[in-house]
Amino acid sequence: MSEQAPDTRESGRALPAPRITKANRFRFSLVWLVPIVAIMIGASLLIRNYLETGPRIEIEFNTAEGLEAGKTEVRFKEVAVGRVEKVVLREDHKRVVAMVRLDRSAATMAREDTQFWVVRPRIGTAGISGLGTLLSGAYIGVDEGVSEVERIRFAGLESPPFILRGEPGSSFALVASDLGSLDVGSPIYYRRSKVGRVVGYSLDPKQDELTVKIFVDAPYNQLVTPQTRFWNASGVDLTLNANGLTLDTQTLSSVLAGGVAFDRLPSAAPQAAAADGSRFMLFNDRKSALAPPDGEPVQARMVFDQSIRGLAVDAPVDFLGVEIGKVHTITLQRDVRRRRFPVEVIVDLYPLRLGSLRDALLGAPVGGDATQVPTEATDPVRTKGTLAIQRLVAQGLKAQMRAGNLLTGQLYIALDFFNGDTEPKSKVSKAAVKESGNASNGKSLSRRERRERREERASRVADKLAEQAAANGIITLPTVAGTLSEIQPQLAQIVEKLSRIPFDTIGRDVQSAVGKADQAITRLTPQALKAVAELQATLAKAQASIDHLDRNVLAENSSVQIQAGQTLAEVQRAAQALRVLADYLQRNPQSLIRGKPADEPLSTGRGIRPAIREPAAAPNPAGRSGQSTTGPAAAAPSGPQR
Amino acid sequence: MMHTAAARLMGCECCGWAGEVATDESARCPRCDQPLEHPRKIGLQRTWALLAASAVFLVPANLMSMMSTVKTLRATPHTLIGGIVELWTDGAWVLAILVFVASIVVPLLKIVALSLLAWSVDHAPQWRQLERSRLYRLVEAVGHWSMLDVYVVVLLVGMVRFGNVASAIPGPGLLAFAAVVVLTMLATHQFDPRWIWQDPDGKLRPLARAGLPRSA
Repeated sequence: MSEQAPDTRESGRALPAPRITKANRFRFSLVWLVPIVAIMIGASLLIRNYLETGPRIEIEFNTAEGLEAGKTEVRFKEVAVGRVEKVVLREDHKRVVAMVRLDRSAATMAREDTQFWVVRPRIGTAGISGLGTLLSGAYIGVDEGVSEVERIRFAGLESPPFILRGEPGSSFALVASDLGSLDVGSPIYYRRSKVGRVVGYSLDPKQDELTVKIFVDAPYNQLVTPQTRFWNASGVDLTLNANGLTLDTQTLSSVLAGGVAFDRLPSAAPQAAAADGSRFMLFNDRKSALAPPDGEPVQARMVFDQSIRGLAVDAPVDFLGVEIGKVHTITLQRDVRRRRFPVEVIVDLYPLRLGSLRDALLGAPVGGDATQVPTEATDPVRTKGTLAIQRLVAQGLKAQMRAGNLLTGQLYIALDFFNGDTEPKSKVSKAAVKESGNASNGKSLSRRERRERREERASRVADKLAEQAAANGIITLPTVAGTLSEIQPQLAQIVEKLSRIPFDTIGRDVQSAVGKADQAITRLTPQALKAVAELQATLAKAQASIDHLDRNVLAENSSVQIQAGQTLAEVQRAAQALRVLADYLQRNPQSLIRGKPADEPLSTGRGIRPAIREPAAAPNPAGRSGQSTTGPAAAAPSGPQR
Repeated sequence: MMHTAAARLMGCECCGWAGEVATDESARCPRCDQPLEHPRKIGLQRTWALLAASAVFLVPANLMSMMSTVKTLRATPHTLIGGIVELWTDGAWVLAILVFVASIVVPLLKIVALSLLAWSVDHAPQWRQLERSRLYRLVEAVGHWSMLDVYVVVLLVGMVRFGNVASAIPGPGLLAFAAVVVLTMLATHQFDPRWIWQDPDGKLRPLARAGLPRSA
């Protein structure tokens, strides 16, 4: 618009002159501070960024499940200290390697003994963990090591370690005979409150020893003293005794998931806490854990000549009702000379359970048997215990198997004094065996002798066993046959007889018979029905016949009746005629020979003539036949014909 | 001072005053005290300085995270390029291109274009003056749209607040990016398009020389 005309249109008017300000004479204006500040800011950002990135480490895992490059974090105490940059397969394709960029602040975490594991949601007996990762995805947990040596490559753990470094508490080792339902993470209870957990277990195949490692959190680790007893709190302890039914359990979760409980002995005085890493026994239940200590067991050996059915390992051994031991092993022996198979039972006796009796036995010297006392005192407690038992044996202590439970037939071993015999049997048998062993030393041996020698050798073996046992500090206890064992064979016989009855065969026979009968009935049923029908018809016919008979024969006016009446009348008449004849013959017996005299002017003389003419017919007594023989003279007046 | 033709016709941008100014010194409007023109040397320096600052901020803006999103307990930082790559891999190509153009190409081109303009003022005053003017207008018009990214992030941060389930946290890159945009805008503002049409000595060139099509 405004042309480049040098003259202005309003040149006539006095224009106010523009105010001239002094120009900034600085060559560089202050605006250059802006890029300088920008550079400083940018540089500081970049430097900070650089400073924040720490070393790159590699962690190997079995699987990359849940690991995402660029997203999965590495967290120490739930604070992100790094991030997975890349997840690759290892060269041999067996594991995966997570490349992790640690933050600068966590750079010192890459120690030789630092542990890495993937935190995933985990549901186990010890509870649910890592639930947060359900939504957020897995992350890598770190437990910082203490080693001075730095490291770049790590082998990641597959499950979280159960003790983190620096966690306050103590770990202990429990020697267990059985793991039960314990598992890593199982809780440790003290008076039913959770104070720790099982962190691992190991089975040493060489020593056959199971060690359970536990960790007790502070401050509860102060509760674990050398007097503490641990027991396996899994399961339910149901006791029926004189007090009634007692159900003893730990918490419900320990019933299901197992756990370890501990307590100190009731009698124990308070003591200082046990050192970290102490070893304890893990008992099977509370009762045995808190029982007073038994001390070292003393082994005793006893040989029974009877069946030991019902006697189990761990069956109690009681002395006058006090349980002082339990059965340790049961082995069969061979007694060749007696052709028997005696059973050798080795029991563990706890002399400490004898209490003050033990001390009394040790104090009082016993008669002649005191010579048996072993003098060497390698193990004072054990030796004293052995001594106490030996003194009891010397006083006539014997073992007998008794029925502990008649229902189940369980046996226990009772130690008791039996009247009469006070001499230990074992000594006698030993002496006898030795004597027989020395007897036969002949050169030429007959077969019988050879057999005897064999037997003797065998018995020497048995004897050697006993001697060995004695050398090992095993006392041999004499035995007495059990009360029940006498009844047992008879019972067994009865049972055998009963069992010999072929119940099953009988049953089968009866069954088959019934079956056959059933079949027959089934088969005959139609015929029977038919027969019944026929029978009915027959009966009907019979009824009809009877009716007919009734009508035709028995009726008053039936023809048969009439004819019968007539016949009977004629028979009557004939009988009369015969009587007449008989009378005549009685009176005139000669007429049988001579016939009837004809001259008699009798009205009835007609009948005589034929008899005269034919005397041959006279011997015939029967009038009728006589008449018939006189048939040719029928013209004659024969009375009988009339 | 040295000029013989001391008087120049100048107008005031503020109050519309127009008149002759007989000096090279920076003059102010006699009516409203508005500086009549940016002193060229100083103005160019400011432009350069702001451009340099914005170029410096480009680096952290692209390298550092613009925003961290917390999705279900996990904070994920997003850089500009990372976000674009994510959009691209998710199949949102149009959106990815849009974001790429608006957030990376435009600031970069703006800086390049302003640098070109500022450089050409002294070193190629006669070169394509009309196109340079158009370029300047384009740069000025487009400039503030790059703030869109910043707006989006700020909106997200303000609106998405669900604690650990979902939330957005602004990152240091966002500040750097905003600085880039603001600084380029300031630089654009510091650049006076009239310099395009002036000789290095400050004189306006005749219109005909500029080759303007409509010379009326």
